[in-house]
Amino acid sequence: MEIKDLSDKTGEWLRGTGKESDIVISSRIRLARNIVGFPFLSRSNLKQRKEIESLLKKTIIESNITKDISYVNLNNATSIDKLLLVERHLISKEHAEGEGDRGVAFGKSETISLMINEEDHLRVQVIRSGFELSNTWETTDEIDNILGKTLNFAFSARFGYLTACPTNVGTGMRVSVMVHLPALGMTKHIEKVFNAVGKLGLVVRGLYGEGTKVSGDLYQISNQFALGKSEKEIISIIESVIPRITSYERMARKALVLESKDQLEDRVWRSYGMLKAARMITSEEILQLLSQVRMGVNIGLIDDIEIQTLNELFVLTLPGHLQKLQGCELDSTQRNIIRASYVRKRLDGL
Amino acid sequence: MKCESCNKKLATVHLTEIVDSEKKERHFCEDCAQNVTNHFPKAPSPSDILTSLINQVSPEIREMSKTTCPVCGLSYLEFRSQGRLGCPMDYNVFKKGLLPLIERMHGSSQHVGKVPANAGVEIIKKNELIQLRKELNESVEKEDYEKAAELRDKIYELSGNVEDGD
Repeated sequence: MEIKDLSDKTGEWLRGTGKESDIVISSRIRLARNIVGFPFLSRSNLKQRKEIESLLKKTIIESNITKDISYVNLNNATSIDKLLLVERHLISKEHAEGEGDRGVAFGKSETISLMINEEDHLRVQVIRSGFELSNTWETTDEIDNILGKTLNFAFSARFGYLTACPTNVGTGMRVSVMVHLPALGMTKHIEKVFNAVGKLGLVVRGLYGEGTKVSGDLYQISNQFALGKSEKEIISIIESVIPRITSYERMARKALVLESKDQLEDRVWRSYGMLKAARMITSEEILQLLSQVRMGVNIGLIDDIEIQTLNELFVLTLPGHLQKLQGCELDSTQRNIIRASYVRKRLDGL
Repeated sequence: MKCESCNKKLATVHLTEIVDSEKKERHFCEDCAQNVTNHFPKAPSPSDILTSLINQVSPEIREMSKTTCPVCGLSYLEFRSQGRLGCPMDYNVFKKGLLPLIERMHGSSQHVGKVPANAGVEIIKKNELIQLRKELNESVEKEDYEKAAELRDKIYELSGNVEDGD
């Protein structure tokens, strides 16, 4: 599979299936691993990075982890391709901006992604649609076991899996659940969620992880600690928190319907109208519009559009995707025009 | 407004002198102001401020400041400024400084999760391997190929990696 084949479809995690998928977009788990015998990346020279990359690439491909595996060497990739992979959540922003030999292997469904020479030698990521942490962990654990047969991971009895950044040491695990919370945002109750979540040692981030701002009412809830609790314990903490957040969001939606039905309906239908009619839409605006319409579908106002379509549009209308689809670099005005026409086409074709 | 003494730099210190109930305004740059009056002790340099801050906030940094990892060459101060460790050995070398940090980050400093199937003997091997690879790189840089070949063989023997020869 080539990168251009990615630009007009999406990974399975955006299908809008799985538990609580009206609010939970996706469940993601990633493990950080380093190989014994090599320094961490900040201390690896280009030659060592190359050695690490070829060793890991070979191991991953020979391990037959997932069918139809694709490998992209980021050192040779264009900036649009890298942007597209970031928008897809197949690599991180840091990985795209890194240097030396590094790459990503991912399966056809894009559920599994293995990042080589990101911040650590290896990052194993599994991402599924909906609130599906147990399944996601099973797959992650399995991949880690398969690779661990061939690779020697840096590990100490005291600190667990040793990572370049001490925030990841221990399990090396980060669990992130992406949730769509428009009603809590509108009613300003979202702050309460942040506070409660923080007390449990969890953290709320924007759509693209660390340091990114929240847009489109999409939030990622993830663990801050990785040491001192087992993988299953960490997962069960998040598993116990998410249903409370989703039921809080549902309550807020109900309250909005009861107390300000007209304003709510107006907001949702205006957004839908804009998506169907606008000729220029900025990347900021589209997130807001999609968010409103997505909630409109969830509360039964709109019934002629699938959640999957909306989930996909969150990703397909991002700058890297539009440029890849168009086959050239575009300035922001051109992107706004193409974005609007792309959305109109997708919504008309229903 | 320029300094009335050197007439070059910007006047940032403004004095009001009262002599015989007569008020007089004077304007100096920071350097000249110090010659004119001792009311303005020289501002501490950024590095002075940093050192005193570090001593207040993290006394462990001063204690650890001379520690450097013999395997990867990273110093503790470099770690504190970049936030990234250089090799697995750092967790041992910087243990004293790292423990309180790790405690603060994770609320614990003892791993209880998954253990790789092939842990054990491998843990001992790993630091030796890093050391050997570092020596290998050094001898290649020095063009001491005899030693490099010797080291390479040792590395292969230890890691059981015999395939990709060059």
